[in-house]
Amino acid sequence: MTKIAWVIDEEKDNVATILSHGVKKGAAIQVETYRKIKEITVQADIPYGHKIAIKPIRKGVKYGLSIGRATQDIEIGQHVHVHNIESMRGRGDFG
Amino acid sequence: MGSFMGYVRPDGTVGARNYLLILSATIYANSVVERVANSLYGAIPITHPLGRSQTKSDLKMTFDILCGMGKNPNVGGVVVIVHFREELCNIHDIAHEISKTGKPVETVNIRAVGGAINAVAEATRKGMHIMRKLSTLTREKAEVSNFILGLNCGTSDTTSGLSSNVALGICSDRFIREGSRSILAELPELMGAEEWLASRAVSPEVVQKIYKAIQSYEERILATGEDIRGSQPTGDNIAGGISTIEEKSLGGAKKSGSAPIQDVIGYGERPGRVPGVYLMYTPGHGSESITGIAAAGAQVLVFSTGGGHTISHPIMPTIKITGNNTSYQLMQDTVDLDLSGILSGTMGIQEAADLIYNEVLEVLSGKMTKSEILKEMTGFAIHRIGISL
Repeated sequence: MTKIAWVIDEEKDNVATILSHGVKKGAAIQVETYRKIKEITVQADIPYGHKIAIKPIRKGVKYGLSIGRATQDIEIGQHVHVHNIESMRGRGDFG
Repeated sequence: MGSFMGYVRPDGTVGARNYLLILSATIYANSVVERVANSLYGAIPITHPLGRSQTKSDLKMTFDILCGMGKNPNVGGVVVIVHFREELCNIHDIAHEISKTGKPVETVNIRAVGGAINAVAEATRKGMHIMRKLSTLTREKAEVSNFILGLNCGTSDTTSGLSSNVALGICSDRFIREGSRSILAELPELMGAEEWLASRAVSPEVVQKIYKAIQSYEERILATGEDIRGSQPTGDNIAGGISTIEEKSLGGAKKSGSAPIQDVIGYGERPGRVPGVYLMYTPGHGSESITGIAAAGAQVLVFSTGGGHTISHPIMPTIKITGNNTSYQLMQDTVDLDLSGILSGTMGIQEAADLIYNEVLEVLSGKMTKSEILKEMTGFAIHRIGISL
């Protein structure tokens, strides 16, 4: 079966990766998370390969580890990308 | 336990290939090197813009990498060519260092033999005599404990960290269980993955080395005044869904599997004898990174690419794998394995890992990669620390 959304570390991750084309705002998708299937209503058009929030986010977690900091509160079903999370590494603006 | 058919060298290392290396010690010998290599069966040219007007630390790096090319088990013999007289990167020292392996090594100085035409003639003749000897060697059965697996990835996309890198990691773990060593490189692309790598280190000393090496690379980048955001992840990474350097790093680190990390080694430095993963200090620049891995003695490299990449090292067969079917279709001329079935649900992750494992053993034993057949030699470049003098 073709997976629509993929979670790496089912217990810790708060994002899933969309592996289907044409996931549009308002669609209901099923995400396999820790021991259960969670139904999520998509809050924005999400391109193939981009991430969707599967839990409310203040800090992004993928692979069970931090991939950066949320720059705003992110709700379940929202698109998670460069517009709302940021890297903490290799930056010239931190003293 | 895995084994392969390879060329046993006088120093006990085992090659997957039996190349005659025509090695340029300086940019000004490159044309002669190309002409000689074009004339000789089984010859591989190594040319580059370095070997002169470099700081001492860069000259040493150039010297070590050129010697590492000659010492790589895939090389059976070497002709080193120079145009005049180089300080700290001269052909006599290069030849002496490589000859410690017991391999035949010859030198030609363009000025000393009376110019480019004489140099081509002399180097061609010397190379021919070495090739005559090399052609008598036959492949012998060797255990995979003689194998150093190179790991690298490039033009990463969403599929890399989720599929092809994960499968490559499982493959690497299997080789290590059977006695091999793997080299993980690309330090600036491991920023944010320290915690996970450190959790696999064999000692507190190695934990410190991992943090220190990656931090040192980050400091080198910041010392240039660059803010890395916008260039790492790259624009194509971002379009593909990778949002931060940490996300890219964690996906990239997946290709090192879950085996213990034995040590952190310098650029081009040979790993220790104990099976496991060795973390090498290299940039993310693909050709510089895989050249460091080849100089350390790796016989075969697996390169995981999301978008499709043409990189291939001249002396280290480079097997390219992808988890993206579109990329495979577009880049079939150079990508060897299509692992897109992992994400489309037609291939198990273990099945993909076994596919890579078997391909590596076959390439070690003589099967040619697509890029070898096409003579793609895009992957030789020496890392630099400082400016030109």
